[in-house]
Amino acid sequence: MPRIVNAWNGVFVLAFAIIVLAVVYPMFIIFRASFLSPETGAWSLESYRAIFHYPFYRRCLKNSLFVSVVSTVLSVVIGVPFAFFLSRYEMPGKNVIKTLATLPLILPTFIGAEAWLLLAGRNGLFFNLFQKAGIELPSIYGWKGIVLVFTLQFFPYVFLMVSAAINSIDRSLEEAATNLGAGRLKVFLTVTIPMVTPAVLAGALIVFYLSIENFGVPILIGEDFRVLSVQAYNEFISEMGGNPSMAGALSTVLLVVTMGLTILQKYWVERKSYAMSAVQRPEVVRAKPVATLLMWLFCAGIVFAALFPFAVVMVSSVTKTSGPVMYYGEFSLENFVKAFTITPRPIVNSFFLATVSTLVGIVFGLLVSYLLVRRRGKMSYLLDALVMLPLAIAGTVQGIALAATYNTGFIVLTGTWMILALAYFIRKVPFSIKTTSSLLEQIDRSVEEASINLGVPPFRSFLKVVVPTMLPGIVAGAIIMWVTTLAELSSTIVLYYGPWATMTVEIFQRMGSGEFGPASAYATILIVSVLIPLFFLQRYLGRDLTTTL
Amino acid sequence: MRVVLKGISKAFGKLRAVDEVSLEIGDGDFFTLLGPSGCGKTTLLRVIAGFYPPDGGEVFFGERLVNDVPPHRRDTGMVFQNYALFPHLTVRENIAYGLRVRKVGRAEMDARIGEMIRSVRLEGLEKRFPSQLSGGQQQRVALARALVISPQILLMDEPLSNLDAKLRVAMREEIRRIQKQLGITTIYVTHDQEEAMAVSDHIAILNLGRLEQLGRPDEIYFHPCSRFAAEFMGGSNILEIQVLSYDETASRLRAETGGTALTVRAPRPAGERAYLSVRPEWVRLAEEPGEDVIDGTVESTTFLGALVRYRVRALGGQGIAVEVHNPRAEDIRREGAAVRLRFDPERLAILGD
Repeated sequence: MPRIVNAWNGVFVLAFAIIVLAVVYPMFIIFRASFLSPETGAWSLESYRAIFHYPFYRRCLKNSLFVSVVSTVLSVVIGVPFAFFLSRYEMPGKNVIKTLATLPLILPTFIGAEAWLLLAGRNGLFFNLFQKAGIELPSIYGWKGIVLVFTLQFFPYVFLMVSAAINSIDRSLEEAATNLGAGRLKVFLTVTIPMVTPAVLAGALIVFYLSIENFGVPILIGEDFRVLSVQAYNEFISEMGGNPSMAGALSTVLLVVTMGLTILQKYWVERKSYAMSAVQRPEVVRAKPVATLLMWLFCAGIVFAALFPFAVVMVSSVTKTSGPVMYYGEFSLENFVKAFTITPRPIVNSFFLATVSTLVGIVFGLLVSYLLVRRRGKMSYLLDALVMLPLAIAGTVQGIALAATYNTGFIVLTGTWMILALAYFIRKVPFSIKTTSSLLEQIDRSVEEASINLGVPPFRSFLKVVVPTMLPGIVAGAIIMWVTTLAELSSTIVLYYGPWATMTVEIFQRMGSGEFGPASAYATILIVSVLIPLFFLQRYLGRDLTTTL
Repeated sequence: MRVVLKGISKAFGKLRAVDEVSLEIGDGDFFTLLGPSGCGKTTLLRVIAGFYPPDGGEVFFGERLVNDVPPHRRDTGMVFQNYALFPHLTVRENIAYGLRVRKVGRAEMDARIGEMIRSVRLEGLEKRFPSQLSGGQQQRVALARALVISPQILLMDEPLSNLDAKLRVAMREEIRRIQKQLGITTIYVTHDQEEAMAVSDHIAILNLGRLEQLGRPDEIYFHPCSRFAAEFMGGSNILEIQVLSYDETASRLRAETGGTALTVRAPRPAGERAYLSVRPEWVRLAEEPGEDVIDGTVESTTFLGALVRYRVRALGGQGIAVEVHNPRAEDIRREGAAVRLRFDPERLAILGD
């Protein structure tokens, strides 16, 4: 079958070419830039020396690590009991709480930050209320606000991973321990906790990664509290021409951290899993009324704290405003009317870019998944590592790398919509590949072979037999891609250009200039656009977004 | 359609999955590739189907060399171990798949599918999806789908291994019935020697990628050519013997094993030492000492109703399995009892290696 082999070889080459041009080469460019002196352009370690010499840069690194560590610890402290209470105890409204608790995963973090500014920022709703009552609220700006938003938005990762682990412990294990004479506490400490520990670590690692890579929250709410991702952006977009060397060096430092975390995740956490198949779950216990109430208050309270701010954003969007002053209680559709009539472009841009990159992503993801699953070999391992690479790169860094690479030279993309679509595609396609390849792994190869054996050529067999079987998964992957692309800020902010501003950019800028009303209108459009497809996903495809992220 | 394999080899990395296998499969033959897992039987079948290009050798369908014919043009019908039914298609659509590809007209398609569905007894299940069928029903759909295109050759890769024991026996009889009715050349892969004997016209035993023995089931059973063939096809005791003398006219040899003299009817072995294959069901319990009788002690007795299985330790130290069919209650020997074993000189087989 030499002809067929060649067709797939062509796909191989194309996939490598795309990854190299969109990821590897740009990363190399900023890596190289970081070793060039900003003044002379000669090889030098100046920028790295600066990072470790000047307290300002050192503080950025320290700040990044600090907020990430604190957010991770808090997410674990909240997420673990949250998971235990919901998995092991009866509680009113349990399923609603579970579903709502996963929403923060998909709601854009910078909208969370925006929401807290609306609530507790200078001129915020609570801020004003408490001030009238003569109470000074602690400032939301700086690390406290960042940690608050990170914790509330990322704790569901710990919750989900720990829940999955708890539910995969067969009841016989705990029963065996009891049978051997262990009391309830002893069983919990010697069996349950050790079985769940890998999941706690895995969840913590994800939270840490997402915190250190995040850009939108610290830039909106951090003010003088600078972190790595924000400073790399500042160096790159500086009004005084920018410093590619410094931006490159900061990006490289951030890259080393995120890569390290990803490798740790892959080779350490993934191996330490005690998941059992075909388990009989432990009984769900009904606790005493007081205990049940306390657990319910904890879980419902956390979910409320995580989602209430988004409700505030939605309410703000239909509130009369004048600059940063909100007239809560006075209804007005003016923000939406303006958004749709005067500046509808960002809305159109967002949908257009998300749709284009998703469509390309589906096709690319499907073909690459096929190569990864069905044509295993050295080349496919390399391809696997390369396509997953963007997951280990902070959005800001990816944006800077693409901008630095394609603003001059033989391919100039900076200033076009294509560079945004490319960035979105390359950053989100790993999700599509993950869903499709795990599905493909479940479809036995012989199904395709049966079709070939009945007379259909291989590629057509793939289209006729494999693709229809995978369709629900492909749609699910596409929805996740589309939704996360819509909410993407960190690479957009570096790459967008005037007319191609997206809703996320619009929200970011309006917040910066104190136009809270219009910002809330765009944010509301974004929230609704994210939630509707997810509702569809859950309702009609019977899938949780949690299985796909 | 005759199938001829000439010196087929296929390696995966360093592993030589199939090593220089040559075979001839007659038209209408039910031919079984038999061997333990990893012997290369499935690889060989996939070479025939065209899924693996062989590293060396030639595959002929009739007179036609098919090495360069892609799998979708080979016109074979294949039944896969896990059935490989298309999960998104109904029973009828699964069966119709190959006919659609061949652009068979509507009327003919209906007729052929209807006939096939009757033949494999799937009436009334046409609209079901594979996930709504039992294992046995799925197996029938897979068979119908492979047969409805009237392939030149039917290929079956351990088609019964996912069914329970009872269903397995029923299905293999049904497969044999349909195969005979259609007279289609069938190549069947299994690791189950009983299944192989029950359905096959000819069996090829494969071991480590090589062809170990080829023949009718009874030939292999009665005259295994190697220790592997003897042990794989039915159980067997293998005794090492020292040749004492050979009588050319009666083609009998006198030999000695573990201090006992035996007579064996066989061609002259190559060397002084040889191996003897003795099926457990061929060994008799004797009352009196005498010619060709080995003394021993019962180590274990397993009563299975229709037969009793003994593990006997011979005087020379050799362990010998013995099966007595239709036992009488008073004849059952208990553990520790002394027994005498009699070998029938006509039924002993000298092995090649």
